[in-house]
Amino acid sequence: MGFFDGFGRLVRVDGDGAVELRLGAAERELLRSLLPQLRSLLVDEAGDAETGPTDPMLARLFPSAHPDDVDEDQAYRSLVHDDLLAVRLSNLDLVERTLDGPPLDAEQVGIWMRTVNELRLVLGTKLDVTDDEEPIDVDAGDQRAPLYAAYSWLGVLLEELVRAASSLPPEPTRHDD
Amino acid sequence: MAAPPSAPRSPLASAPVEAPVEVEEPVGDVDPTTESPWIVLVWNDPINLMSYVTFVLQKLFGYSLEKATELMLDVHHKGKAVVSSGSKEKAELDVFRLHEHGLWATMQQD
Repeated sequence: MGFFDGFGRLVRVDGDGAVELRLGAAERELLRSLLPQLRSLLVDEAGDAETGPTDPMLARLFPSAHPDDVDEDQAYRSLVHDDLLAVRLSNLDLVERTLDGPPLDAEQVGIWMRTVNELRLVLGTKLDVTDDEEPIDVDAGDQRAPLYAAYSWLGVLLEELVRAASSLPPEPTRHDD
Repeated sequence: MAAPPSAPRSPLASAPVEAPVEVEEPVGDVDPTTESPWIVLVWNDPINLMSYVTFVLQKLFGYSLEKATELMLDVHHKGKAVVSSGSKEKAELDVFRLHEHGLWATMQQD
């Protein structure tokens, strides 16, 4: 498949079109430690559902739809906040349940992708990632080093999940009309 | 957006997705006698992976790999791109689905 050594190390599509996660023990433990933190962040949100969260990590997960119109944005946030929250929590539950296998179907791969992406958004915001071209290079002694390592690894996992999903037969696309 | 981690910067290598319906332009369903159309914009951010953004655009809007890549590169290089247009209700739904996928999207009247 790809021309990078190591791609397909974490995620493989088997002969039946199911997606197998080949995570090491330490990698599973990393996810097991990150997922509850994301859940806490989501459920403990202190911001007003109408005006948007003040925490920058949450603000990234509940962004504005009308940046120049406060009234319209409040209406949008009131409309979608609970659904956005509920679907994210449901996705989190599924990822935790399927951490140790069995192989995932197409819908579950999509849920994994969105949840891993959310972990990246939260960690990247926390790390104040602003440069998308340079690889992150931080000293081992930097106390943020473990977070950077987790952020980088999540990027590899997400990249492989996207590759796997792209090689599956297409799901019916969710057109709304 | 972020380039693929620990990999040379190279053209996107994922296999084409054969979507059941492929469109090249945003689909509009506006009644011209009532209101001007709403457009949906996706904005660049340094965290989202290029491959992920491309995949989401294909999945949500039925774009071909080529068109989704073009839109993603517009977001990456120009800061934003229009990914759909239509009624206010349709734009709101599209923004919601994009937010659900972790992309930053906004809507405005054209």
